[in-house]
Amino acid sequence: MTAKPPVRSTSFFTGAWRVFGMSIGEMLWSRRTIFMALIVGSPVLVALVARIVQSAGIAPLRVNGVQVDAVSMFGAMIWILFLSFIVPVLGVFYGTSLIADEVDDKTITYLFTRPVRRGAVVVGKYMAYLLCTTLVVLPSVMIVYFLMVPFGQIPASFISLVIDLGVLGLGLAAYGALFAFVGAALRRPLIIGLVFVFGWELVTLLLPGYLKHFTIAYYLQPLVPHAMPTGDTVSLLQGALFREPPSVAMSLGCLALAIVASLVLAVRVVEQREYILEQ
Amino acid sequence: MTKQTRLFLGVASGILVLGLGTGLVAAYVGGFQNLTLIGGDGPAELAFVPADSHVVAYADIRDVMGSEVRRKLSAFQQGANDGAADFKEKTGIDLETDIDYVVASATGMGDPTHGEPPLVLAKGRFDEVRIEGLIRDQGGVVEDYKGSRLLVSDEKNLALVFLEPGLVAIGGAAAVRKSIDTKAGGANIKGNGDVMRLVRDIDDGDAWVVARFDALTGGKLPAEVASQLPAINWFSAKGFVNSGVEGQVRVETRDDAAAKNLQDVVRGFMALGRLQSGQHPEIAEFLNSVQLSGDGKTVSLSFSLPPEMIDALGALRAQRARPRTTPVAPKPDGSPAL
Repeated sequence: MTAKPPVRSTSFFTGAWRVFGMSIGEMLWSRRTIFMALIVGSPVLVALVARIVQSAGIAPLRVNGVQVDAVSMFGAMIWILFLSFIVPVLGVFYGTSLIADEVDDKTITYLFTRPVRRGAVVVGKYMAYLLCTTLVVLPSVMIVYFLMVPFGQIPASFISLVIDLGVLGLGLAAYGALFAFVGAALRRPLIIGLVFVFGWELVTLLLPGYLKHFTIAYYLQPLVPHAMPTGDTVSLLQGALFREPPSVAMSLGCLALAIVASLVLAVRVVEQREYILEQ
Repeated sequence: MTKQTRLFLGVASGILVLGLGTGLVAAYVGGFQNLTLIGGDGPAELAFVPADSHVVAYADIRDVMGSEVRRKLSAFQQGANDGAADFKEKTGIDLETDIDYVVASATGMGDPTHGEPPLVLAKGRFDEVRIEGLIRDQGGVVEDYKGSRLLVSDEKNLALVFLEPGLVAIGGAAAVRKSIDTKAGGANIKGNGDVMRLVRDIDDGDAWVVARFDALTGGKLPAEVASQLPAINWFSAKGFVNSGVEGQVRVETRDDAAAKNLQDVVRGFMALGRLQSGQHPEIAEFLNSVQLSGDGKTVSLSFSLPPEMIDALGALRAQRARPRTTPVAPKPDGSPAL
């Protein structure tokens, strides 16, 4: 028997796969997981309470005196809790931390001295993020759905659930990729990410003009099968006058482009940038 | 990957697969909603309604008549009960207590060549002899149709038959005959999957209606309006009447894109309505209660008329109904009277 020669360098995808295997456990059992469990667990708790209240014969949700049916309540939760809050927040917190945390913890040197390409580190970590968040968010949506929607209404609303799961997965992928790039390229990526999600996206979506094209939400919203919950007069009017939703094909195309472009940019930045660790 | 991580990934994937599998089976089987054990299947009288009906409606007359809203409306409208009293005198039917509920249906309403009255099935307590006598007095004739005594008034293009004890069918002669045929073994509306799917969703209301949209409008919408409306296939509505009125209007469009267009149209109208309602707090309250929702091809609009608003509308009506007195200009002293 002859001993195998030591492997000096692995292919990009093998390297990414190894980083993925190492990162998934780190990501799942980090302190951030408590935060993720809290924000993903809250809709489940709300749905559970709604179910208990409903089984007692009381309408769980009334808006201005109108009883809201179960499927509409579920739709509102998808819009308000998942799409507008949980998905962007997870994208910002996890996406920006993929590289930035390694820099802050001064552990990036250990990753970069391994026999894998630097870009593979980003891709591997991104894949770990995607699996980790997807396998936390989507089961949560599934539990909320089965808690809220009566059994008899499942056949009529099931296709919408499948689309919801797809849209949320796509949202996690898009926000994660964008903020992986932001985390790799900029200092203080978390603040920039929060400003983007809760400032830029909210404002530009309500304004006339082309600025909304530079958001993720603009392309995600037309894919949601549920009607957008009605807000106050101003938002209704703005929505009615200035809302020009892109087609489904355009939305899917632009989101795919955003994911690929962000990842390619993140890989290029990480491969070219010189990270100087503060002593 | 640690054992702990593998366990987490397995459990999370399991929840996803289990949920998707359950939903998929439910959707594939055609829906558990088709089982009458889960969810209502509409009133039993739907067995008399032909399968090709374009409009089906139901009203729980006892609930509506006994509601506070109805009492208030009667109080606002002086003389509203005169017609009911006259009807009771002629037929012996007290609308408030003798009719439990009615089911109405229509076929071919969209076709202008059909001007026949719809079929109305009323469940309650009726004095059959008195009603038959009344129809005979007005020139009606009795004919036997497949063992049923059909009372036909050609003059009014109406027919009436007591299908079962406490169940009367009234409507155009052809429609009433068809209801007898339907019960005898013809295809009834319960076999119409599109209609029953909608009926099951709304049959908890005090009153509801399911209709094919083109049948409902009867092609009478102005061309300009019709061309601007997204393609709507089905319309349904339900209402709950108690101290106030709660309602839900739901339409099913041809595709998801049409539903999104309709949502935008409705949003626009809601915004304009809210802008216009600044001077009228009671209307603003109503518009604030209007909630738009939707799922796939479905667009729903829910609203609530609280008791206070019904009071306000009643007061408004009473104010308008009050005879206007034109002030008489004082005559100058000594002027000759005309």
